[in-house]
Amino acid sequence: MAASSSTTLVALCSSLTTQCKISSNQNPILSKSLCLSKSNSGSFSKTTHNLSSSSLIFSKRPTFFANPPKFSESEALVVEAEPEAPVSEANPEPAATQVVEVAKEEPPKREEIFAVVMVGSRQYIVIPGRWLYVQRLKGADVNDKVTLNKVLLVGTRTSAYIGKPVVTNASVHAVVEEQGLDAKKIVFKYKKKKNYRRNIGHRQPNTRIRITGITGYQDYPVSTLDS
Amino acid sequence: MNKKKIFKLAKGFRGRAKNCIRIARERVEKALQYSYRDRRNKKRDMRSLWIQRINAGTRQHGVNYGNFMHGLLKENIQLNRKVLSEISMHEPYSFKALVDISRNAFPGNKNVVHPPRKVDMSAVNV
Repeated sequence: MAASSSTTLVALCSSLTTQCKISSNQNPILSKSLCLSKSNSGSFSKTTHNLSSSSLIFSKRPTFFANPPKFSESEALVVEAEPEAPVSEANPEPAATQVVEVAKEEPPKREEIFAVVMVGSRQYIVIPGRWLYVQRLKGADVNDKVTLNKVLLVGTRTSAYIGKPVVTNASVHAVVEEQGLDAKKIVFKYKKKKNYRRNIGHRQPNTRIRITGITGYQDYPVSTLDS
Repeated sequence: MNKKKIFKLAKGFRGRAKNCIRIARERVEKALQYSYRDRRNKKRDMRSLWIQRINAGTRQHGVNYGNFMHGLLKENIQLNRKVLSEISMHEPYSFKALVDISRNAFPGNKNVVHPPRKVDMSAVNV
């Protein structure tokens, strides 16, 4: 039991390293200092409210409530709650001590809150400290502070603030990390027996943002959960 | 496309389709056509999957998918199905709060509460 859980922890931590660039311990501090030096804060309120075409990006999932054993089957993105639970089990593990140290340092930094935010007409579940790819935000440079105003749901360990449709005065603060392009998709159009072939490559512009905090939801009518 | 690109796209194909250019070219073209079509199909499939998951989650609380979505619509909650399915999987208490809101807004439907129990037919003489 302990062996299997430790191996899963290592596997999950390795996946955490590949996905989240585990030097995130230094990154939040770095990015914060850069934000302070560069006094450039833009607030982007998305006015597009049409909910067509949900995105297929499964963003990081908050898993604060007590069911850790089920998450070995779901996508490898569900990692951030794992270090919080079996940290004490990982201590006696001799190998990968560096990864264990980083995993130990993760939990105190993250507040247990998640929000559903709408960016670029797509909805994402965000938690502070994780990054995600969104549609390209025009006019945002690297290390810009961005405020996302369309917060549809805020959930903490004990209560949920469900917006109708938006949680008023709630906002999610994020920092733009990178403005890049998606992976190339080949758009190949072909009609048989008509000599029609078109080969087009397409790279969709995107923006990687890192979520720093969720604020402003406290005054909203709450539905407390009897946990 | 030149041959190198074709062979790069033909990795993992069966038989001569990964090695011989004449066959590989045909198979790669077909594969690209399928990927074009399936990028559109994926959106349909994912939505169907989300709906199945939301249905399963709400039926655990005694509400079916149709009534649940109608209740959310009445309350002007605009969470989409992707997010709802993820919440139903990983945030059970928040999801229960949503189901309660929906049930208050639209009680409806007396029949569908539990999945039908299987009747033991071994005792029945045919």
